[in-house]
Amino acid sequence: MYQYNELDQTLINERVEEFRDQTKRFLSGDLTEEQFRPLRLMNGLYIQTHAPMLRVNIPYGLLSSKQLRTLGHIANKYDKNYAHFTTRQNIQYNWPKLEQVPDILADLASIQMHAIQSSGNCIRNITCDPLAGVSADEIEDPRPYCEIIRQWATLHPEFSYLPRKFKFAVSGSPKDRAATQVHDIGLNMKKDADGNIGFEVLVGGGLGRTPIIGQVINPFIAEEDILSYSEAILRTYNLFGRRDNKYKARIKILVRETGLEKFKQQVETEWQSIKNGPLKLTKKDIQRVKAHFAPHAYQAVSDLDGFEEQLNNDKPFQQWVTQNTAEHKHAAYSIVFVSLKSPTRAPGDMTDQQMNSLADVSDRYSFGELRTTHDQNIALTDVLKSDLYALWQQLTKLELATPNIGTITDMICCPGLDFCSLANASSIDIAEGITKRFTNNAIDTGDISLKMSGCMNGCGHHSIGEIGILGVDKKGEQWYQLTLGGSDSHDSKLGDRLGKAIAKDNVVDAIDDIVHVYKQNRTPNEAFAKTLDRIGLQPFKDKVYDPH
Amino acid sequence: MTLIKNNQVETDSWHYQQDDEAPTANKSIVTLAYWLENKDTLITKSLILGISVNGDTHIDTVADELEHLSLVAITIPAFADGRAYSLAKLLRQQQQFKGEIRAVGDVLPDQALYLTRVGFDALELADEGLAQLTLRKLSDFSGHYQTV
Repeated sequence: MYQYNELDQTLINERVEEFRDQTKRFLSGDLTEEQFRPLRLMNGLYIQTHAPMLRVNIPYGLLSSKQLRTLGHIANKYDKNYAHFTTRQNIQYNWPKLEQVPDILADLASIQMHAIQSSGNCIRNITCDPLAGVSADEIEDPRPYCEIIRQWATLHPEFSYLPRKFKFAVSGSPKDRAATQVHDIGLNMKKDADGNIGFEVLVGGGLGRTPIIGQVINPFIAEEDILSYSEAILRTYNLFGRRDNKYKARIKILVRETGLEKFKQQVETEWQSIKNGPLKLTKKDIQRVKAHFAPHAYQAVSDLDGFEEQLNNDKPFQQWVTQNTAEHKHAAYSIVFVSLKSPTRAPGDMTDQQMNSLADVSDRYSFGELRTTHDQNIALTDVLKSDLYALWQQLTKLELATPNIGTITDMICCPGLDFCSLANASSIDIAEGITKRFTNNAIDTGDISLKMSGCMNGCGHHSIGEIGILGVDKKGEQWYQLTLGGSDSHDSKLGDRLGKAIAKDNVVDAIDDIVHVYKQNRTPNEAFAKTLDRIGLQPFKDKVYDPH
Repeated sequence: MTLIKNNQVETDSWHYQQDDEAPTANKSIVTLAYWLENKDTLITKSLILGISVNGDTHIDTVADELEHLSLVAITIPAFADGRAYSLAKLLRQQQQFKGEIRAVGDVLPDQALYLTRVGFDALELADEGLAQLTLRKLSDFSGHYQTV
């Protein structure tokens, strides 16, 4: 993975000191709350319902065991012994003290991590396919490009006071595991007829109050031009994006109001004037970063006799392998998903002890590297098949082996009313109810993506869940709007409203009804989306709203 | 008002035009609207002049005027409004403007470094104290990722 050089390290060290000074000036009254707000946000610090919340970047979801151990240490020393992994592959601490945040940032800097631009109206963490470099269908490893974009975007002097936040996602595979269609800029790696590497560039996607699927602004931008093209988009957005209404300030609204063709023309006029300038990447620039992502020293073969026997003899192990592992591009290896959706904790949460132990496990079985996923789980991407049994036993002890990846209990969920000052309704207790109801039959129910947000800002991505749940406030009461049929795969789609909002006490039953209709109507092995497509919304509506 | 020019406090040698009075001396800053209305006359006077514009001004509105001007003062209406940054960048990079670009309005010391990195070479701060803090803030970082 990428290792900081002197410039990287000096820069984040200086950033820590800058923030220490800003915090001091705020606490002494020299900076007003209004002035401090964007400064702290650009360092990932929110003021939430109970306490500040600090969001720390995990660049394109890649973590070393050493980093995970320190993240656990921070949870232990400055927080309540746990932290929360987000849908944008980052980690959040919910209970830090404002005056201790500079010290936390200093601890992070010591392991080459930071919270720069993890919030605020600026370019946020670049997210990426969590299986980059190891999936069999990959066109090109996107991580070096993520790092190149990360460096360009970090402390960018021109783009730190944008109309609104700005998110990039990059995918290197035809199967989109990075939700590129719902990002401000989505980049899909392509090769042209001559084998040159480049990107299909999507613009104006996003969730939140106005979910919009991104559109292709250019089908192929060569790798050397990716920074100049991004700069042209950002400059156009910075100049013309709306600043009169924060709910209309994202680039998706600008693209919609301007029209894609005209917007593209503005971007490309600007691009032509900077394309051959200093932002043009040389082969050497790219190679220098690529060298950090060389493949691990993989073993060619692994003795699979023992593994086959374990599979045959141990039903729970077999279940876990089926549900929580995926194919690696090297036959002797597997990709393992560590489930952060156990019945005992809120989705995406992990304790300091789990972080510590998982760091050890990754050292032993997966080259000391981990990836955070868009679904709020963790992947150990390089595990020898012959090690799977031992790994499974250890993960089981750590309560990190719930065999539910992709199922209804592997839900995406925002922190909701319990933590967030924006939320209208709670998410965590609904998640708990669903987990309780489905834990014993999640596998039998089949893969269903369930996503839940506590308000229309949509941090839980409800609009692209096959089942989406949105918390709404009705005269001080918590109600929930259900949608069906959303998708975040390469063919992203927004879900359709099922009907009127449902009272809190009835939500879990309604989900049960939906699952029931699916199970009754599905043909053998038919996926939820297919069944829904075939039979339409009506049977689901009938069951949920008119059970008799 | 305290002026920082090229990373030090300087006495401001420019003055702002009052009440649309015609400038008679060098180093007057007139509004963009006044300039556009009176530029034919102003050009014949051969004075050293500057204009003041709002941060949301479109580059095309000023591009053709720059050859007659030695200063562009950009007013930032609220510190979180980042349009002035791109405008300054376009003035330097696309228009190759070599005169002074001055940040006026809601300018925070914590923003000074970014402002100077996109092309501002002069910053107006409310008072000497803020100007001194700004000078300190200008040296917070010893390196950057962006080369331009």
